Amino acid sequence: MMIKRFSLLCATALLAAVSYVLPAQAAGTGLIFVSNEKSNEVLVLNPQYEIIKSIKTSHRPRDMHFNKAHTLLYVACGDDDSIDVIDMGKLEVVDSIPTGPSPEMFELSADEKQVYVSDEEDSRIEAIDIASKVSVLDVPTGAEPEGILAASDGKTLYATSEVADMVHVIDLPSKAVTKNIVVGTRPRRFVVTPDGKELWVSCELSSEVDVIDRATNTVTDQLTFVPPGFREEDVTPVGMAITKDGSKVIITLGRANHIAIVDTKTKKVLSYVLVGKRAWGVDLTSDEKTAIITNGLSDDITIVDMASMKPIKSIPVGRTPHSVQIDD
Amino acid sequence: MLAGVALAVLAAAGGAEAKVKLPAASTNAAAANAPAKQVKVGYLGLTNDPRNAANLTFTNIQISPPDDPITGAQIGLSDEAIVAGANGFTLSLDAQKAADLADLVAKAKAMAAAGERFIILDLPDDMVDQLAAQTKDLPVTLINASAHADYLRNRCYPNLVHTAASDRMAQDALVQYLRTRNWNKVLVLQGPSPRDKVVADAFKASAGRLRLNVVDTRNFTLSRTPDSQENNNALLVTGGIDYDVIFIADSDGEYGRYLPYATQLPRPVVGTAGLVPAEWHWSWDRDGATQVTSRFLKATDRRREMSGSDWSTWIAAKAVADAYGRAPDISDPSKIDAYLRSPDLRLDGSKGYALNFRSWDGQLRQPMVLATDNAVIAAPPMPGFLHQTNNLDTLGQDEPEHKCQ
Repeated sequence: MMIKRFSLLCATALLAAVSYVLPAQAAGTGLIFVSNEKSNEVLVLNPQYEIIKSIKTSHRPRDMHFNKAHTLLYVACGDDDSIDVIDMGKLEVVDSIPTGPSPEMFELSADEKQVYVSDEEDSRIEAIDIASKVSVLDVPTGAEPEGILAASDGKTLYATSEVADMVHVIDLPSKAVTKNIVVGTRPRRFVVTPDGKELWVSCELSSEVDVIDRATNTVTDQLTFVPPGFREEDVTPVGMAITKDGSKVIITLGRANHIAIVDTKTKKVLSYVLVGKRAWGVDLTSDEKTAIITNGLSDDITIVDMASMKPIKSIPVGRTPHSVQIDD
Repeated sequence: MLAGVALAVLAAAGGAEAKVKLPAASTNAAAANAPAKQVKVGYLGLTNDPRNAANLTFTNIQISPPDDPITGAQIGLSDEAIVAGANGFTLSLDAQKAADLADLVAKAKAMAAAGERFIILDLPDDMVDQLAAQTKDLPVTLINASAHADYLRNRCYPNLVHTAASDRMAQDALVQYLRTRNWNKVLVLQGPSPRDKVVADAFKASAGRLRLNVVDTRNFTLSRTPDSQENNNALLVTGGIDYDVIFIADSDGEYGRYLPYATQLPRPVVGTAGLVPAEWHWSWDRDGATQVTSRFLKATDRRREMSGSDWSTWIAAKAVADAYGRAPDISDPSKIDAYLRSPDLRLDGSKGYALNFRSWDGQLRQPMVLATDNAVIAAPPMPGFLHQTNNLDTLGQDEPEHKCQ
């Protein structure tokens, strides 16, 4: 599979008349995938940040995830109620999994046999068996469920409800919500620390990130952000990424057009980095030297150097970029 | 379909089905042990409110569909039912209609006696004014969701807050937009109803603040008698003067709908026709608005699109639910009310900002939308209109201008 992908990339590179350099760690292709909500495509950029392909998808592509082998990329398409499956060798949509109305965020189960989806317009979380494409679990949530995170124990699922302002703790074996944790206004996304102890939740409209202690399911910290020249109410935190060692969390601050890089232990902001308008999605390269941010209102992505914590460049992409995933 | 919404409320709040999957496993021990507290939210409308009737013109042409905004409040409570469940209480709407002021006062008193602490109002300006005056001593907060008159904000009733935007907020939003476009010379057209004068005056006050030039104010009429043709014929009423844009105040809507594309000069029309300021428009597609609009469509069997008043009753219900959910102590009603009015309230109105009530006049600060038939052209406050504490306070009467009258 790996060989197949490399040969295809060489061909693509030749066609595009760009010199393609294998990434040093050779863990993947180094390709960058950006889902554009309004142009109904997943854009593919090479590691030199050149656009090499637009993969047409169903309408309104949003959250994306690779399978572990990085042979497939799943894309939730909100306006067509499906999760499209992109073959990483062909760089084409090869399959589509029907979902409930308006899927936004999703997660793959640990065995990759199921996908957990938040159906924004149906106020429920469902699990869909990928092979049979049949919905096998259906848990009602508060209105507009969004963020979803499958814990590494394979038993616990976390979901936010944007309208109910809470995090639902779902026990998968018993298919039941075991706890509702009230958090800030319009909770959006999650990251979990590598030690599994802390669950961070971005709360878009109360301008905060709440830290939940997973042992007690209580909010232990509320982090607020005020980049220079902004007021707290201008800050709408959404996307988050955490380094593998768990030392830093990157938080996109939405309308404040910045990201915050936060020290996980001290919970202090190490730096604010100016990016594009309405900073939304974020992903880190596997060497963690670079973060890529999608800017939903300036239709571009910003490359951030993690060592200097400075923006390197912004690259125009399609309309309303939502998520970014890097194959490396 | 409304029954469906009610069912959803019940199911999420503690119906048998929901209990299995979503136990009201609460964060506080008291709630887990005590039976669920029932919170009833009052709602008062007027029987045969002309504002909510189908706006029929000649030959049964309907300018706007019947528009009873009660659905907004129902959806607001159903949105919050699950939060209530987690906090050990249930929410229900006690919606009633009254024929006149005496009936309204009697019903408000009965609601207060039944322990209802908040009443959402869908009433015309004068009814809100008199009801607030006559229920001042009740332990109840009235939430005005559809009366726009600025004078209500200056009455300083301690028992009244407003989720409906004031006229001044709507016109400030429009004027900010005209300013950014450099459409500085405005011809104002005013209809015969008292409401038209109120709207035109609010626009002129806003225009004065941002120094737009109102080149003339002219009255229009629907009458086609020869002696009124100067005020009826669109070419004549918009002719003989230069301007960048026409502002029309026509609460009836019949004249205004024929004005765009019929003017003497090729100029845009704004106000109650053309580009219209409001709390909400169905085509707003940011900040989760699409989900709100589709819940509304579902609840009305796709009969009509969500309007500004629907948004205002929706956010009023959400404000009450949020206050009950987050106030430090819900056994003390005055603390719930204090929380609702405090800056700690961070309401999500799907307009991209956290919303709360202004301390000086009880007005919900909020962005406005400026919409055509099928698109939101801008959502003021416009970029660049800054305020020393909160940019939303560039819309409507600011604290230094506010006087109790």
